[in-house]
Amino acid sequence: MDFAKSIAIAASGLRAQAGRMRIISENIANSDSTAQTPGGDPFRRKIATFTSQIDRALDARTVALGPVRTDPSDFITKYEPGHPAADANGNVKRPNINPLVEMNDMREAQRSYEANVNVIGATRRMIQRTLDILKA
Amino acid sequence: MPISEIPIFSMLRTRMQWHQERQQVLAENVSNANTPNFRPRDLAPFDATRPPPAAALTVARTSPAHLAGSTTGPVQFQVDRGGSFEIRPAGNGVSLEDEMLKVAANQMEYQAATALYTRGLGLIKTALGKR
Repeated sequence: MDFAKSIAIAASGLRAQAGRMRIISENIANSDSTAQTPGGDPFRRKIATFTSQIDRALDARTVALGPVRTDPSDFITKYEPGHPAADANGNVKRPNINPLVEMNDMREAQRSYEANVNVIGATRRMIQRTLDILKA
Repeated sequence: MPISEIPIFSMLRTRMQWHQERQQVLAENVSNANTPNFRPRDLAPFDATRPPPAAALTVARTSPAHLAGSTTGPVQFQVDRGGSFEIRPAGNGVSLEDEMLKVAANQMEYQAATALYTRGLGLIKTALGKR
């Protein structure tokens, strides 16, 4: 039944957005994770990627979380000589995470998730209408 | 004559199939709203006067004496690669607002089709006098 397919496709969207939310929460949680050794690299920001794939069993294009990439941008350095992770000059490398960017990504993930939930709701109502024909 | 062969019912059935198919295409668009280089698709508008060609399934016959069993497979609706309102830098052209409107319209039109179907059944029941 095609409606079951629609729901499965929207569910793949839910899964992908939930996975993206996980990556974002990792970034936010680790926004202060510096290195354990002096001069070492801190936590590097992760980026979720999406790929469109053809689900053979479903015969439809679903979405899946692609490989998780890391953000190659420079770390933020902060002068903090007393910090255990400070290098010889007293600079500490902090993760390349901008809370503003993460918050916006989170909003986008939330909106996309809601859109997929809406599709599931609409499809369910359509199935209900079909079943209502029986009551006629 | 089976009920599904009566013109109004067969037409409404095709219409409902079209809505099902469209719902699937729209679900694909929404789930891929963040996929790079994804362009949204839609079905070509429904036209009851030109029914889509049904993929006819015929049984292979090795002898002319065999029965020619034939059945109509699922109808194939034309997929329309419509232009999108905007294409974001990542190459994605899905506008969630647009898709939500389409999903809502699809749902309402489907509801109209099922309501008409119900009415049609009611007419037959009236004719049978089993009310």
